[in-house]
Amino acid sequence: MQPEQPSAADSPSEVADEVDAAALARVMRLVPLGAAVLAGSTVALLVLGYLLIYVLVFIPRGSVG
Amino acid sequence: MSDVHPEMHERWILGTELLWAFGVGVFIAAALGMIVFTALTMSINPPSNVERIDPKVLHLSGEFAEHNLGTTVTADGGVTVRAIATQFMFVPACIAVPANRLVTLRFASPDVIHGLLITGTNVNTMVVPGFVAQVHTEFTRSGDLLMPCHEYCGLGHSEMWATVQVMANDEFKPGPDGRVSCAQR
Repeated sequence: MQPEQPSAADSPSEVADEVDAAALARVMRLVPLGAAVLAGSTVALLVLGYLLIYVLVFIPRGSVG
Repeated sequence: MSDVHPEMHERWILGTELLWAFGVGVFIAAALGMIVFTALTMSINPPSNVERIDPKVLHLSGEFAEHNLGTTVTADGGVTVRAIATQFMFVPACIAVPANRLVTLRFASPDVIHGLLITGTNVNTMVVPGFVAQVHTEFTRSGDLLMPCHEYCGLGHSEMWATVQVMANDEFKPGPDGRVSCAQR
C-alpha cells in the first residue's frame, strides 16, 4: 500500500480483521477447551473449599437443630 | 482439530456442556446427600421451631418473665436455657450450660429482630419478635464462649453480647430450685 493512498484504516469502522479465516477457525476450536479448563479448575477449587470447611469445621462442631 | 467437520465440532461442544451439567448434577446430589446423611446420623439440622409468643407482654408473665430466665434443670435432667435478646443486651448476660449434655436454648425478643451465634459451635439463629427461637445442641468443650448479636439491631448492636459458660459436669450443680448460674471466676 502506498502511503499517499487513502486507507481503510483511516476510519476505525473500516478496519478489517487481519486474522485469516482458517486461523480464526483453528483458534475458535480451542476456545471451548480453554473455557472448560478454566471454569472446571475454578469450580473445583470452590468445591474443595466447601468440602474442607464442611468436613474440618462444620462437622466437628457437633450437633445442632 | 482444524480438519474436524463443523457439525462434529458442534456436537463436541454440546458433549462438553452435557458433561459439565452432569458434573454439576453429581456435586449437587453429593452436597444434598451429605446434608441428609449428617441430619440423620449426627442430628445436625437447621433450627426449625415455629412457636408464637406475644412480644408486647413476654416480660410480664410466663416463660420469659425475669425470674424464669437463665438455666434450669428439670426433674428428668433436661437442661433448658431461656434468655431475652433486647436492645442492646442479652438477659441474662452470662449463661451457664453443662458440657456433653443435650441443652435446649430458647430465646425471645420484645423489640426488634436480633440474631445470635455461639463461637466454636454450630449454634446460629435469628431471634424474631413474635416467635420463640429454639436450638438444641451439645457443648463438647468446657470454657467461656462468646455469644454476640449478629443481626444489626440498632446503634448499640456492637455492644450486645453475652457469655456462655460451659461447665464440666462436676462444676454444673443446680440449686434446690433447679437453677444454675455462672460461676464467678
